[in-house]
Amino acid sequence: MERHLGCLIATRGIEACYESPVEPNHLRQTSVSSRDRLRTALEHREPDRIPLDFGSTNVTGIHVSRVAALRDYYGLPKGPVKVYEPFQMLGSIDDDLRAAMGLDAIGVFPLKTKFGAPAADWKEWDFRGLQVLVPGDFRTTTSANGDILVYPQGDLTAAPSGRMPVGSAFFDIIVRQPEIDEEKLDPADNLEEFGPLSDEDLDHIERSARAAGASGYGVVGSFGGTSFGDVGLIPAAALKSPKGIRDVAEWYMSTRTRRRYIHRVFERQCEIALANLARVHSLIGDSVDCMYVCGTDFGTQTSAFCSVATFRELWFPYYQRVNSWVHTNTDWKCFKHSCGSVERFLESFIEAGFDIVNPVQCSAGMDPAELKRKYGSRLVFWGGGVDTQKTLPFGSQREVREEVLRRCEIFASGGGFVFSAIHNLQAGTPVENIVAMLDAVNEFNGVWHA
Amino acid sequence: MHDLEQLKEALIVGDWKNAAAATQAALADGVAPLTIVTGHLMPAMDEVGRRFECEEYFVPEMLLSARAMKASMEILRPLLASSGAQPVGRVVIGTVKGDVHDIGKNLVAAMLEGGGFEVIDLGADVAPELFIEAVTERGANLVALSALLTVTMGWMKTTIDAFQTAGLRQEVKIMVGGAPVTQQYADAIGADGFSDSAGSAVALARKLVTA
Repeated sequence: MERHLGCLIATRGIEACYESPVEPNHLRQTSVSSRDRLRTALEHREPDRIPLDFGSTNVTGIHVSRVAALRDYYGLPKGPVKVYEPFQMLGSIDDDLRAAMGLDAIGVFPLKTKFGAPAADWKEWDFRGLQVLVPGDFRTTTSANGDILVYPQGDLTAAPSGRMPVGSAFFDIIVRQPEIDEEKLDPADNLEEFGPLSDEDLDHIERSARAAGASGYGVVGSFGGTSFGDVGLIPAAALKSPKGIRDVAEWYMSTRTRRRYIHRVFERQCEIALANLARVHSLIGDSVDCMYVCGTDFGTQTSAFCSVATFRELWFPYYQRVNSWVHTNTDWKCFKHSCGSVERFLESFIEAGFDIVNPVQCSAGMDPAELKRKYGSRLVFWGGGVDTQKTLPFGSQREVREEVLRRCEIFASGGGFVFSAIHNLQAGTPVENIVAMLDAVNEFNGVWHA
Repeated sequence: MHDLEQLKEALIVGDWKNAAAATQAALADGVAPLTIVTGHLMPAMDEVGRRFECEEYFVPEMLLSARAMKASMEILRPLLASSGAQPVGRVVIGTVKGDVHDIGKNLVAAMLEGGGFEVIDLGADVAPELFIEAVTERGANLVALSALLTVTMGWMKTTIDAFQTAGLRQEVKIMVGGAPVTQQYADAIGADGFSDSAGSAVALARKLVTA
């Protein structure tokens, strides 16, 4: 059955292939742990069912409002949901919800959140009518027009570094670009946010990783410091007075006009990162299965942010250095996130040592079957399960189901697939569609090895 | 003529300092501002758009050319206004309410200006009534709406509906674009046009204002 589903769909339609409801993943008896399931998939072998991830990274997360809605849907205890990533307002998925959704991975995150507040001393916060938990040093004000402003390191005397307009559900970074004096531009100014991890940082990572490693779930470690030139991080929302090149457009232009400067930033950042990784690994060993390396986006909705030649000149050497260190010294797999149309970069990603690519934005002109055929034996596709710009937020449950089943058909064969949506589940997504997505994965699993 | 070729080249390679200098030099040689725009600036930005469409250029190169074009237009704009020269069209552009993303919108605005349009850029997080106010005050015949987020793209429909309610929908053409926006969505909300890139936005805008 498992080898012929595609043919069946082509000749008989989806309904004929998946005729009866299948018991949800989490209710089916299995002797395979989530961690083994994930590892099997990462080794390009077929696991007992497709491993499923939401919440193990900042790019496979769920908006806090949807986490609350899912908890309601599954009848789980009510209460304020923790916002583990306050920039995109991603909500923590606790063990009870993880079990209800049948998820297989959890994440280890750095101590400091995007706006510089440590993930500690949680307090309640009224998020436009929804009670949530935020870090104690996450401090906001509301402007006269109703926008929410957030402050770096919770310092209300500093200029705000994030803004959530009325009508939005996410923060956007406020660019604080000092005037650029070309003569005085110093790469050190763009390195202020990078430095040796403190004992506090390391202690947090060690405790989180040990707990995650003992949980039985697959573990993704996000340690920070290895995202090279990610425009989501360039404005440095955690710094009180960022210096250097901090405007996103200016940074993009600098990739053409100030390459020597950027090389010097990346070189030093890479040195710092490798020293930090050595310390992290000495503490946590192989309690994580893969490492989130970088979220720099190289693709747009229809094209790319740069040529392959530019990628290879500017980014490739540093990715290769980080991934090589990881593969030489650990058992971790290397995870690369890049939105958009990135097929042109995939050979270079592989050559640079990436094992995993996410979010597999098929809607950006990439044919999933072609991706699987060309790269499926060399790259794990972590994502690509359903479109979050169109199908999931605006489609019918039937459309969600059909898209998910087709994607599972294409990507699951031979392993090398971790089901997740194409990026985070956004605010406003109907919870029924999220459940339809999960049901469809379960439905596929029910007949995959039947 | 040498200055004008230099201007064109400066725009294409994205050298704002040379673009400004060449513009000043051409004016000093007695070249009319409108001639500089239509004969040199517009063809240069068309070439930039062409290179973007065929992926010789990417976002960084587009940003550099847009900055060079702006440097030239900063000099030319007041002269064009005082000469009474008519633009190809007058467009009010902005990112819709609730959405503060503006890089894509800025690129489209620059390409439209380079394409001979007078551009009234309202910035980001723009409420429907502000679009209406700008169209009324400036006599614009085109509105360009941008959105990056699925949670904010609904404001495109709200804005179009607001033009309808204000009795101005027949007075303007409305085009939309942004990462989650599709032709299907544009059709569903009653927009007149959709563009998925800054380069093709100019061609669409020209088509809409001459329709």
